[in-house]
Amino acid sequence: MRKAFAETLTKIAIDNSRLAFVTGDLGFQVFDDFVKKCGPRYINAGVAEAQMIYTAAGMALEGWQTIAYSIASFATARPFEQIRFCVDYPKLPVVLVGAGRGYTYATSGVSHHAADDIALMSALPNMTVVIPGDPGEIEQLLPQLVALKAPGYFTVGRFGEPRFEAEEPATLGKARRIRSGSKIAVISTGEIINEVLAAADVLRKESITPHIYQMHTVKPLDTHALDNLSGEVRAFLIVDEHLPNGGLWSAIASWSVLSGQRARLIRLGPPDRYALGNMQRDDLREKLEYDRTAIINKCREIWKTL
Amino acid sequence: MKIKPSIDFFEKKARELRATCVQLAHDGREGHLNGALSSVDLLIALYYSWMNIDCVDVKNEKRDRFIFSKGHACTSLYAALADRNFFPKKLLLEYAKNNSPLPSHPCIHALPALEASSGSLGHGLGMAAGMAYGLKLDGKAARVVALLSDGECNEGSIWEAAMFGAAKKLDNVLAIVDYNGVQSVGYTDELTGGASFEEKFRAFGWSAVTINGHNIPEIIDTLEKFPFELGKPSAIIARTRAGAGISFMENQVLWHYRVPSKEDVDSALKELEAKPIY
Repeated sequence: MRKAFAETLTKIAIDNSRLAFVTGDLGFQVFDDFVKKCGPRYINAGVAEAQMIYTAAGMALEGWQTIAYSIASFATARPFEQIRFCVDYPKLPVVLVGAGRGYTYATSGVSHHAADDIALMSALPNMTVVIPGDPGEIEQLLPQLVALKAPGYFTVGRFGEPRFEAEEPATLGKARRIRSGSKIAVISTGEIINEVLAAADVLRKESITPHIYQMHTVKPLDTHALDNLSGEVRAFLIVDEHLPNGGLWSAIASWSVLSGQRARLIRLGPPDRYALGNMQRDDLREKLEYDRTAIINKCREIWKTL
Repeated sequence: MKIKPSIDFFEKKARELRATCVQLAHDGREGHLNGALSSVDLLIALYYSWMNIDCVDVKNEKRDRFIFSKGHACTSLYAALADRNFFPKKLLLEYAKNNSPLPSHPCIHALPALEASSGSLGHGLGMAAGMAYGLKLDGKAARVVALLSDGECNEGSIWEAAMFGAAKKLDNVLAIVDYNGVQSVGYTDELTGGASFEEKFRAFGWSAVTINGHNIPEIIDTLEKFPFELGKPSAIIARTRAGAGISFMENQVLWHYRVPSKEDVDSALKELEAKPIY
């Protein structure tokens, strides 16, 4: 995904000479091609996330469009006040990019976990929050988000994530239908979609065929798609690699209460605890029961009751 | 737009702006007079002499950019902007009222003539540095000034900005520290260990000088030397007095917050021998 991000970024910057990129001293060799082609529009602010945001904001005040880049935990929680006061409040065209959200850096410890980033960024009134699931979604959604010329939060995984097939292209602000099915809608955001799709392959052999939707845009939430689905399915299964408060689950639960819809709402995702223990991401997902096995079991269980 | 008036003119203006600050604080029921009064002479030098400003085309590309980072002290900024015709003086009557274009902390949505909102401390210098980088990339000659409070320099983000400014050789940035010595509930030197601001900025790679922040000719002379060194950002450490110009307010923590009573206003205006501009 990082390769797709660097390539897409460079492509956008070649077309848009007002776009500049600010990093908080991260992305070794990832942006070499950008530097080669766009030179001084690559700015390393140092290990200084506050200044990274100030640079992005100050340049935006002078008519630039900027992308600020760091590891997701350092991009969001660390300079939160700067993002709120200097980017979101004045509504500047700054896209903040968090690399390795969720438990991408599971083995690096709590310092590097970003399972609260969607909550933090969604709390900001002018922010559009986009969590792509594969290189294809990065290529499709980053240009759309940049074109908004408004505050945005965008995430990027690591290297080598698989690409998935989908029935629809990715459109900013729209729930993306990946596979049509019936009775259950499995909804996720970001790269946990890979676990969902692996589970769906197993379930299909048992003739258990839920709808699979990717909610790459968590804010604004596509409530129109949810309204439509709620008339059709009996259960929503939300797979969310985020703490229980303020992630995709929270957003959909809020929609559910306000809409008065009747389908069951079930969550798979980590509990409200720091993920201690230095575990591999796959092992952590298994232990916290939101990996493919947990998804398969939960779908089987729901399917039987419908 | 530059004025070349006499020292008497500047000093009379300074007394009028101080009177306006006190009246605004009373009428708007918002304090923060310490830092407003300490900044008046700096604003006179900037807005009446040194900066390229345009009160008609406020976003004129060639204008110098000014960020009033110590947002809580904005009565002095509003007084200067009104007196320099950025908006009608009668608008000062709206200070800190509901839906006012002049809220108690400056907001660009309320007053678009501003470069940035302020009120949350520690942001002005970093944004100024970002603007300065953007201007350099565009080959524009405009200068960027951030007026900081000394208390605000407690924030680590000021020093992130200082590093960035030096690393990127932003000699189009000027930081002015309104060093009035008094913070919200304590004294600056006690809270920071008292190390020299000038030496700190120098150590961070800036060219820095310390001046008397109430001597308008000295402030203007110093501004005229900007940039102090090519390839380095500049800093002016302006020694000032909290509550400057009104004897019963000077150098007291109390007047960071206190809203002046009618009697306080009367005594202040009498001492200043000046009236508010609205």
